[in-house]
Amino acid sequence: MGRFLQALLTAVVLVGIFSTGASAAYMRQPESDIDPSVFKLDEKHLLGQKLDKSYRFSDLEGKEFSLGDLYGKPTILVLSYYTCDGACSVINNDLLDLLVLLEEAENITIGKDFNVLTLSFDENDTLETLTEFKNNLRLPKDIKDHWTFAVAPDFTHLQALTKSLGYKYFWSPQDRTFYHPGAFIFLTPKGRVSRVLYALANEAKDIELAVLESKQGQFKVSEIVNYAASLCYSYNYKEGRYTYNIPLFVAVGSLTLGVITFSGSVVFFGRRRKKRLMEGS
Amino acid sequence: MSTETETFNWKEWVFTTDHKRIGVLYLIGSMAAFAVAGVMALLIRIEQSTLGPTIIEDGTTYNEWLYFHGAAMILAFLIPGLTGFAANYFLPLMIGAKDVAFPRINAFSIWLFYAAIVLALVSIVIPDSPDIMWTGYPPYSITTNANTAFYVFTVHLLGFSSILGAVNFLVTVIYMRAPGMGWNQLNIFVWTTVAAFAIQLVFIPVLAAAVTMLLFDKYLGTHFFDPAEGGDVLLYQNLFWFYSHPAVYVIFLPAVGILFEVVASMAKNRVFNYKACVYGGILGIVIITGEVWVHHLYVAGMPDWLRIGQMVTTLLISVPVGLIVLSLWGTLYKASITYNVAMLYAAACFFLVLVGGLTGIPLALTVVTVHLSETSFVHAHFHFIMALFAAFAMFSGIYYWFPKMTGRSADGKLAVFSFWSNVIGVNVTFWPLFIIGVEGMPRRYWDYEMFPHFEPYHQVATAGAFLIAIGMAGTMINWIIAARSGEKVGENPWKSKSLEWTHCPSPPGPGNFPEDVVVSEDWTPYDYNK
Amino acid sequence: MKFFNTILSGLMGALLPFAAMANEAYEGDMNPADQWDRLWNTILLDITVIGVIFGVAAIWMMVKYRAKSPDDVGSLPKLTRAQTMAWIFIPCALFLADDLFLSAKGWSLWNVYRQVPEDALEIKVTSYQWYWEFDYGDGIVTEELTVPVGKPVVLRMTSEDVLHSFFIPEYRVKEDVMPGRVTYIWFQPKKAGTTVATCTEFCGTAHGNMYTDVIAVPPDDFTAWRVKAKAEAENES
Repeated sequence: MGRFLQALLTAVVLVGIFSTGASAAYMRQPESDIDPSVFKLDEKHLLGQKLDKSYRFSDLEGKEFSLGDLYGKPTILVLSYYTCDGACSVINNDLLDLLVLLEEAENITIGKDFNVLTLSFDENDTLETLTEFKNNLRLPKDIKDHWTFAVAPDFTHLQALTKSLGYKYFWSPQDRTFYHPGAFIFLTPKGRVSRVLYALANEAKDIELAVLESKQGQFKVSEIVNYAASLCYSYNYKEGRYTYNIPLFVAVGSLTLGVITFSGSVVFFGRRRKKRLMEGS
Repeated sequence: MSTETETFNWKEWVFTTDHKRIGVLYLIGSMAAFAVAGVMALLIRIEQSTLGPTIIEDGTTYNEWLYFHGAAMILAFLIPGLTGFAANYFLPLMIGAKDVAFPRINAFSIWLFYAAIVLALVSIVIPDSPDIMWTGYPPYSITTNANTAFYVFTVHLLGFSSILGAVNFLVTVIYMRAPGMGWNQLNIFVWTTVAAFAIQLVFIPVLAAAVTMLLFDKYLGTHFFDPAEGGDVLLYQNLFWFYSHPAVYVIFLPAVGILFEVVASMAKNRVFNYKACVYGGILGIVIITGEVWVHHLYVAGMPDWLRIGQMVTTLLISVPVGLIVLSLWGTLYKASITYNVAMLYAAACFFLVLVGGLTGIPLALTVVTVHLSETSFVHAHFHFIMALFAAFAMFSGIYYWFPKMTGRSADGKLAVFSFWSNVIGVNVTFWPLFIIGVEGMPRRYWDYEMFPHFEPYHQVATAGAFLIAIGMAGTMINWIIAARSGEKVGENPWKSKSLEWTHCPSPPGPGNFPEDVVVSEDWTPYDYNK
Repeated sequence: MKFFNTILSGLMGALLPFAAMANEAYEGDMNPADQWDRLWNTILLDITVIGVIFGVAAIWMMVKYRAKSPDDVGSLPKLTRAQTMAWIFIPCALFLADDLFLSAKGWSLWNVYRQVPEDALEIKVTSYQWYWEFDYGDGIVTEELTVPVGKPVVLRMTSEDVLHSFFIPEYRVKEDVMPGRVTYIWFQPKKAGTTVATCTEFCGTAHGNMYTDVIAVPPDDFTAWRVKAKAEAENES
């Protein structure tokens, strides 16, 4: 449990600390107040949950789109809010770092293999706060084009969405900040939840594996290497990340052993018989 | 050399390295497993004969019977009976070898086998005996209170025994063939045994690894198959069937091989299209067998592409099997068939393999299996092909080789009566299961209160089981009597052309052949009609 | 060899219309259970024909070629090279043809089974040793499954303990239910009535007793039931 809970706690605490900024006067010990498990989505019951494609949001340009428009490839959904000074949004920054690493690794590409969507759950967010927020993130160009930041013109849509996810968040007037789960929610091309990872607990590899998993076995022939590599890992609910699928390696090793014993005995004794017959004649 | 020892010396059996004695030991051990597992089958059928509890009050006892029945029949009866007994006794004789390549390793194999049989039998009487089915799927096999370890260690012992046997027999066939004997002159049984052992050697390590990890998960607190802690709950099933589907061919192939020997000898005919049967059929199966296991997981939430892909590979198995079947049928064409008990069992096998094979076709289709999997239909299907076909072929072989092993014939009224009891019994037992299977009767149910209208079918099936029990008991009694006082017949009562009949006495003495065997270029074991 | 190549390609060519036919047959009628029955009848016919051909051939040969005297031998001629090849390629082509035909049929129905209609009613199933829990998403949680007639229903399933498998024989659907994974099935009840859902993956002592009712009711009754069940659920909490 250790590493994962620690990361979760750190995420929650950091979200709190950074959003309160310098106003240390209000700082209390959030650890003592907040049970981090409140901010853990009930993944076991969430998996397979379908997000209604008719929810409508509007993006940076004020253009409205429905959630279903993003479907067709895996989507990483991040719930956040935009009104915070400077250092805000550990989650988005963490995701950005991971995405940059993914771009460098070149196994999967944002835009081609998956989309990213950040939604605000703060009713007071507007296109202005959004623009400022996005500018502060300083996204590289290729990532910028495929990472949608949006607000909900009709806030009931957002409420319905968070309710169907069981996503709990609340405003703390004391800390002047939102407390909320720092979760990356992975959606399948059909808009079902396939995995939930938490900010600051993961490496780029985990994001890649979660995206591949979201494809649910629908991959092109050219992606077979990625797919095969993804079989070497399986998701560890307890640690909240992907770990090596050890039995698979053991099995491949055993199979190799069997094949070697088989071909070894065939080749060795085949030769010996030939030799014996030649000597005999 | 072939002087009979008058006094029985147990040391000569326990410490023997003679492949024929080891073969007989395999026969006795596997028949013991068969008998106990057969009694379990009868208990299972009695329990199902009425709705609600019949002879037990809860499911656990039933599950323990079912576990033992499945595990013992497959791992301790069919595989050791066909590859252990038949291959040990007759493969060296068929290729003109004095013994196997490594007689001491062979002796070690039989000790391991007996250790496994003892362990399996002990597992019935211990408290909390395994109730995990022969498949042992986690998480149940890990969370259950039962002693999964007995299952794991039984698989280990039998697996190790099989691996040693596999190396031994592959090397024997490669290295010890009589001078002049080419690959196209081998008995079909030799080919099928080589194929079966090749499959064992390649795939058993995977099963051994899988059950070992099961053991670690249950007793050492690892999480190989625990999804909550990073394990993959489906991987065990994949690994298990990666071996256990090929294991079906480990059973099917030697059984078919025996059938060819019996049919060719009794029909006095060459094997029809020998090369197609060997290179297309037998080797074809060996090549495809590693790519079809997913049809056991059609409803286990595997990715769709895998389920469709393996539907095609599974259906493709029909091609090599079809070639073998054609050769088998063709061997009857323009034949001159003598009917005796061995041939009766062989004739029955023609129909058993048809029913068992053809009912496999719907089960190869992913979408059809969505309804049929884990129902009595599957249960009846694999009993027809694996249990009935393979057991009948083995019985056919035992009757066929009985004079070779004992010098006496086992044919007689009791043998014929038992045959008919068996053949009627299996059909009465398993056809009703096909019918209720399609209607939705699940397997592995100790009770079926949700389907009360299936009761009459279960009763018919139970009646059939009693016929089988009578037939099997008659068969075993018949063998025991015949071994002591059967009619003495000559060295080659069937006038077979195979080496074990033409070149050595019945029973063969130490060293098998009085003179070294050399075969000519145009010799074949099916040399009836030049 | 050229001769056999011609035969082989001819047979393969003849197959394509079959494959096309198999795909067409399923349009229009969308109830998967009915389509399953139709596919089943086709397969039953297919394997019965093969079985009868081989069975009759075996009986005929077994009777006709009995030994006249103990010294008789069979007279199966040695195959020529051309005959050998013919007896390999023609049967193989025929077996492949049948395989391809069945694969095509099986695949097209499989696609129906996996493509859940957009308007399907979604119910969450959780399995325990040894019962099922059905969550309708609006606070209603039951241990029996109530569904409306005529509307597609999709079950999204997961397990809390060991492996189970959810099987409704009447609707010809089944899928394993596993911890840590989500699986789904969908079906469309055709007429009102009660049928059985039962567990088909071995799950321990009471595996044989793990079943529940599936109650299909007319859409109006379903709406009424749902209102009532919701009220009851709210009263309890």
